[in-house]
Amino acid sequence: MTENNKQDTEAILSLAMDLGKSMIKCGAEIDRVEETIIRICHAFGMKKTEVFSIVSMINVTTVDPDGHAYTQSRRVYSYSTNLGRLERLNSLSRSICCQAVSFDEAREILDTIIGEKNGFHTTACIGAVLAAGGFAVFFGGTIKDCLAAMPIAVMIYLMNTYIKARGMSKLFYTALCSIVSGFLAIFFVRIGFGDNPAMIMIGDIMLIIPGVTLINSIREMLCGDLMSGILRLLESLILSITIACGFSIPILICAAV
Amino acid sequence: MTLNQALITVLAGTVGTCGFSLLFRINKKHVAFATIGGFITCVVYVICCRYIDDVFFQNFIPALVATAYSEVMARVTKSPATPYIICSIIALVPGGKLYYTMYYFVSGSYPEFRVTVLETLKIAAGIAVGIIIISVIIHQINYSKFKQIYDVD
Repeated sequence: MTENNKQDTEAILSLAMDLGKSMIKCGAEIDRVEETIIRICHAFGMKKTEVFSIVSMINVTTVDPDGHAYTQSRRVYSYSTNLGRLERLNSLSRSICCQAVSFDEAREILDTIIGEKNGFHTTACIGAVLAAGGFAVFFGGTIKDCLAAMPIAVMIYLMNTYIKARGMSKLFYTALCSIVSGFLAIFFVRIGFGDNPAMIMIGDIMLIIPGVTLINSIREMLCGDLMSGILRLLESLILSITIACGFSIPILICAAV
Repeated sequence: MTLNQALITVLAGTVGTCGFSLLFRINKKHVAFATIGGFITCVVYVICCRYIDDVFFQNFIPALVATAYSEVMARVTKSPATPYIICSIIALVPGGKLYYTMYYFVSGSYPEFRVTVLETLKIAAGIAVGIIIISVIIHQINYSKFKQIYDVD
């Protein structure tokens, strides 16, 4: 066993785990992440790989052809939904597995994907506006409600990009977001820009509601990942309660005033 | 629900789905397919609301159709099914119910509160069962193959 060989194994394990970590950060399901890490380690010739992963932690031990075991772990602090990046990570892992790219190329592609800034994106902002407006009407609002939900959606998107990115906890951010959007919705109706505060709020709730987390949690539990399924289920329940509490504060205050 | 209302609902749901597919920043080539998925879900949802009274089936059938569509499109476009499933199903997420649950609680109408909480849970169960039937079966088949190849205990 030469020193060089050891470094290689560590580097391969690092590549697999960094890829797995960025997949979780984009909102991938845990079974997909574990499968990807195992496949990549095998593609580089590892004999046996054991993965344990939950939404906030990955732990991998891999055994190289000489029989030496290597372990690394990664801590995942926060995740959001970026399905485009998830798709690119997925295709990168596919090309690694069919040996279409070398180790150095793979590392380079991965570093470019990780290095991309999660900043302001005009299309995503337009998406938030369309989603809030569309769902305000979908749940029974008028055109005025749709228009009133749109500026609030922009605000939610801006808060999401600039405040949440600064490491604020998801719970606190969700509460803040709900309270501010609730006040704005009632304010818009009071000045005559919008008919029904309920519909404006529902449109904007759709942006903050942890729908993806809930869908993922159910899928994970049924696929056998009880641990991360329960974590995600709890998270979406707590977030839903936070949203409900957040929106109830403006309603209670404005009903009194 | 009149025909006009149904058309508006479907249109709004489709626009909303398109918005979410942009917000989640899915691959630009797939935005159109995801939006079509949302459109199909909304159409099925509106039809189910017209003919079925039970909220479970009102959400179960569209979720089933959406998952089937997503799995087919994933194979046609050779990409993971997750982006399609998430975007097509988002219109069923009970955001309105969550609002009313909170509203009834705050305004002290406890009988309505109890009904909406139960309805929200029923909707969530409907969506879940809809996804399970197709997606999880496919996953189980793929995963057992994967396990055999890579010798996972």
